[in-house]
Amino acid sequence: MSNATNHQLLDPVDFLQPDRRLFIDTNIFMDTDTRRAGGLKRLFERGQDAIVANRNPIVVPTKVVRELEKQSKLDPAAESPERGAAIKKAAAALTFLDSAARVDLVRKDLGDDTNPYADDLFLRLFERFASTYEMCLLTHDITLKLRIRLLAHRLSKRLVVGVLTKDGDLEVDSDAALFERGHRKYVRHAAHVADGSGNFKDESEVATLKPLLDDFQKAFGLAQPNLAVQRRVAKTSTSRRKTSPAAASKPFSATPRIKPRDSALPFTSVPARGDEVSWTSATKSGSFRLGALLGEGGEGSVYEGGRNTVVKIFDKDHITQHRKEKIELLVGRGLVVEGMCIPSAVVRNNAGEFVGYVMPKARGHEFQRAIFNKRKFEKEFPNWKKSDLVDVCISFLEKVQYLHSMNVILGDINPKNLMVDQKKNVFIIDADSWQVEGYPCPVGTPMFTSPSMLGKSYAEDLRTIEDDLFAIATMLFMIVMTGQFPYIRTGTDGDMVQLIKEGKFAFQISIRGKEYNDRNQPDGDWKYMWSHIHKPLKDLFWDTFHNEGRHYQKRPTATDWLQAFKAYKAYLSNAKVNFDPMSNEIRPIRSKAFRPDTPIVDCPQCGRNHAIAGIWHDDTQDYYVPSRCNKCRDIAPVRTAPARAVIVQCKDCSTSIAKDRAKYGRCPACAKKDDERQARSKTIDPSRKCTRCQQPFITYGNVEWHQREGKPVPTTHKAGYGGTYPAGCVPPSNPARGTTGKTSTSTINKTAKKKKKKGLWARLFGG
Amino acid sequence: MARFNLGADDLVENPTPRVPVSLCLDTSTSMSGSPIEELVRGVNLFYDAIDEDDDAHDSAEINIVEFNSAAGLVHDFASIERLQRISSLTADGMTAMGPGVNLALDTLEKRKATYSGSGVLYYQPWLVLMTDGAPTDNIDHAVKRVVDLVGAKKLTVFPIGIGSHADMAQLARFSPHRPPLRLDGLKFKEFFEWLSKSVARVSRSTPGDTVRLDLEGLAGWAEL
Repeated sequence: MSNATNHQLLDPVDFLQPDRRLFIDTNIFMDTDTRRAGGLKRLFERGQDAIVANRNPIVVPTKVVRELEKQSKLDPAAESPERGAAIKKAAAALTFLDSAARVDLVRKDLGDDTNPYADDLFLRLFERFASTYEMCLLTHDITLKLRIRLLAHRLSKRLVVGVLTKDGDLEVDSDAALFERGHRKYVRHAAHVADGSGNFKDESEVATLKPLLDDFQKAFGLAQPNLAVQRRVAKTSTSRRKTSPAAASKPFSATPRIKPRDSALPFTSVPARGDEVSWTSATKSGSFRLGALLGEGGEGSVYEGGRNTVVKIFDKDHITQHRKEKIELLVGRGLVVEGMCIPSAVVRNNAGEFVGYVMPKARGHEFQRAIFNKRKFEKEFPNWKKSDLVDVCISFLEKVQYLHSMNVILGDINPKNLMVDQKKNVFIIDADSWQVEGYPCPVGTPMFTSPSMLGKSYAEDLRTIEDDLFAIATMLFMIVMTGQFPYIRTGTDGDMVQLIKEGKFAFQISIRGKEYNDRNQPDGDWKYMWSHIHKPLKDLFWDTFHNEGRHYQKRPTATDWLQAFKAYKAYLSNAKVNFDPMSNEIRPIRSKAFRPDTPIVDCPQCGRNHAIAGIWHDDTQDYYVPSRCNKCRDIAPVRTAPARAVIVQCKDCSTSIAKDRAKYGRCPACAKKDDERQARSKTIDPSRKCTRCQQPFITYGNVEWHQREGKPVPTTHKAGYGGTYPAGCVPPSNPARGTTGKTSTSTINKTAKKKKKKGLWARLFGG
Repeated sequence: MARFNLGADDLVENPTPRVPVSLCLDTSTSMSGSPIEELVRGVNLFYDAIDEDDDAHDSAEINIVEFNSAAGLVHDFASIERLQRISSLTADGMTAMGPGVNLALDTLEKRKATYSGSGVLYYQPWLVLMTDGAPTDNIDHAVKRVVDLVGAKKLTVFPIGIGSHADMAQLARFSPHRPPLRLDGLKFKEFFEWLSKSVARVSRSTPGDTVRLDLEGLAGWAEL
């Protein structure tokens, strides 16, 4: 690997020159590889003069220091010798960094506490300052290296990533070598995921690396890496499996053709409780008796299986060719992922006919019953905060990210196919409806169906990833908003399909300097709930759902959402940025406080904590603090006879009308007249012209006001201080007319226009 | 007391889409005696069943319109939690079915407007029309309204005849797609059990979904 074509050596001192920056990541300090021993020390020896001369210390961000502190607190004796050595290294590094910072060789006060992910920090830093500095990061993290290399390519800037040799030289991989390392990393994680030993880190690496490597390969025009390497690595980690691990980790086809129409399969009997059935997994087979009936759904029944498994037996109408082939396909892959009820064995009746499948048992409650229903939510999870709902979103997204990286389209995402337990683990059930390899997802739920899929047949059309991303966006919104539908608004006739198609997202927002104050925002406390959501996430929701949004057509991916939700989580746990204690409540009862200095007090009437926030008044430049909370205010006026209509008189024509029909105190007819009057008052009166420039200048409303007040109606544009008229108010350039004192305005106007025209022509043609 | 405003609160605070159900009941003289008693028992049983069902509990909103010589509202729409069980209905007078159905439709329209005005999702409403006789007035207008709504998929209607004197031909005019059903004896209990299950089934679906009613479940109590 270490031949000259695979990497080049650079002098790190180059990056200590003015206008350049050098950064070090955590893993460099914890490197125990003896081939690199002493490299860091050499770096500082070689670089100290340049650092001092240029006042350009090496940057070790706060985040990295925090991570080292965390690591150094672990007990090295409790870990493997290798990890133990790394932990000791972390402790040593902290001591060194302290002294180095004291003499200005290192800066460790830079960073961003709100983002818990150091990788993102480096990436954001490099993106932000790419035009200001040439930058170098020392890191062993291959994913991060790939991302920064790609960033440098995209921005055409010098951003270097590498590691140190024992001489303190900077060793930088070639594009091809880095790509190959990345690919091996991908295969390693994918194999873990495939053989069931994977955790979320594996899944998220797989999901991140796959598109990243694709982009990288395209950007640098690289060939597919050597497959021999791939197989070797994969085999060692999954030698227990019969199926080819490479095949297992390989995603399904990204662009399959739809399979021929589904058809019923012949069968002799549908087994029930106590009946003997046989099962076949990717590697084994056997038989057992169906246990207790756990539930009945639209397609079949679910029975108790083994200790951690259940068995779904399709009913007579749902034993079909597609289901059989799709389940055999999923079982054949041997995918075992925590939190997903993926078929693990095909189940046949005593005649050997396909009737169902075995899957892992899910825990917890359906979203529909546990999260989307206030009564049940308060019963199941009485102590949850908003951050717990954010965790639920993250758990859900990590699973979706993995499935999408495998080109699985979930299809029928709905609150009955998702479950959540007390520990906020999400389980995805109903895997047999997933769309894989051209087998469509035959079912759907209108509320979660994308505009483009509405009206199509679920069973006869393939969905796209965009269709899934619509359902995912809707689901995320509904989790955070405790069951409220994104397109809810006032003034609808309950037609769900229409609501989705028109794309009117009514929750109010100020985005990119523009106010969207939709008056159809729903009643109740929903607006408060919406107001407290982390602003970047609100923006992302708005951009996704509103038909003028940036992501209305091209929706955020699971990875995009994950990033936003992780940022939301970090925000909620950081009191410095999240200054309003109500933001972590499930159901806020007021809008988010305006600023960190906004007074927030408990309600003196009902005692609710933080129930009142000051309201900013621009004119007094101060906060007004209401004397009671919104809840106490709402219930204050006790009505004894609420059903009886209140009758009022129209303030214009005195007709008696029901109060709820009145608009600003007017009956509908007078209200209409008033609207017209209002509109007219804003219209410019064409018959009145400015005596200076001869252009119409005053509105009907303004004229009426002067007449009503007994003031003379103005005859010219309004002059500002010092008698300056608006830019457009230019007297016609004909000094001769100045003497015609008493000509009527209309005559002046006619002549002025003619003169002006002549002047223009004269100027144009030098007359 | 904050009771009335609380009512408005849980209308909007519960994000579950609603199913408004209007029970439009004949309380003319001929219903007196055991029919009206059985009917009251059946309605209360319906309420209990809705109350106990996990999904219907948060979705169903029920009102009762009665008609005899005139039409009247027994109680307006409310969620099951706020509904008192009815103690009795008085059977006395003619069979003013036209005004009865019109009033039921008016209350449904008003309820839909309330949902719409406050931003609450809903399923298209249900109208259950029950009579043991024949209308004593002109029902043309009411029939037209119902048929138009059903045609536009804005209403599901269940015309039910009670006993052998119910005028099934008149009832049939309200239901262009499905023949009206005649109650087998006074099996209100079975009918309302079936109705609560159907409401529950709808509340488990998404608004806009076509819900297949379990008409097979009707076999036990009805003869066609």
